[in-house]
Amino acid sequence: MLDAFSRKAVSADSSGAFIGGGELASLKSFIADGNKRLDAVNAISSNAACIVSDAVAGICCENTGLTAPNGGVYTNRKMAACLRDGEIVLRYVSYALLAGDASVLQDRCLNGLRETYAALGVPTGSAARAVAIMKAASAALITNTNSQPKKAAVTQGDCANLAGEAGSYFDAVISAIS
Amino acid sequence: MKSVITTVVGSADSASRFPSVSDMESVQGSIQRAAARLEAAEKLASNYDSIAQRAVDAVYAQYPNGATGRQPRQCATEGKEKCKRDFVHYLRLINYCLVTGGTGPLDELAINGQKEVYKALSIDAGTYVAGFSNMRNDGCSPRDMSGQALTAYNNLLDYVINSLG
Repeated sequence: MLDAFSRKAVSADSSGAFIGGGELASLKSFIADGNKRLDAVNAISSNAACIVSDAVAGICCENTGLTAPNGGVYTNRKMAACLRDGEIVLRYVSYALLAGDASVLQDRCLNGLRETYAALGVPTGSAARAVAIMKAASAALITNTNSQPKKAAVTQGDCANLAGEAGSYFDAVISAIS
Repeated sequence: MKSVITTVVGSADSASRFPSVSDMESVQGSIQRAAARLEAAEKLASNYDSIAQRAVDAVYAQYPNGATGRQPRQCATEGKEKCKRDFVHYLRLINYCLVTGGTGPLDELAINGQKEVYKALSIDAGTYVAGFSNMRNDGCSPRDMSGQALTAYNNLLDYVINSLG
């Protein structure tokens, strides 16, 4: 598992180079925006249950066949598994956002996920749509532009970069399963 | 590779929970100290050559025949070059450790197995200790870097010296 800092060390080691000025610039901005990043992670983890259940409810509304007999989330057992998986994906995205690097998400969550879902017969199109809904919800919570009354009392800052970074991790999930 | 953030994420993952408030505090503490570490890394990246050269000179002043514990070296020039190469290698890993904020790079890329290697090559670890002790006393604040940065740098030199003991 790597973070934004050890990622630089690993890539510098492959060429035997010291980590100097240019390489350090991105890490300095990581440090400067450290509090924003922690707030962004907090925005996701404090609203995790809401984000996940909204996403799963969303795919069921968009595609009523899912809850019909033989549908993807027909039976409470499958629905519960769907909610659990949504939370796992969101948890690893929050780890990646905290670390500033996708390696924890790739190694511990996405590696082999496509094959697992194929073996279990999970409809990957619906799963990808649920991840996309979580992406939109997370972006709204990070930039504090969510429509829900549960807005955080924070200083308005520009967290668009962090919302974009979180979005890239969700996109990695979508491309890994679809 | 071990750092504060990867340790926090690893323990959160083994408990299957989202990053908690105390996890955030740990990361925040690491980030606050990171500016000094990065300063030390930057200064080291631009000065490593002269630091290593001074260490080699100190080693050869103390042990004129090169590595102790073996035959006097026939070719002092080659020995000096290899000595400097090794010091630069350690300084590069210290540079990585300063960036990472943990001792992972040193542990994984140098310290694991170093004693066995030096024993097999009949190089006295004391030779390296002499060089690193010179570096340890060479740094000066505020001439070279700020006090906090120098502390981070010296801590890693101490870590290497202890690993050779």
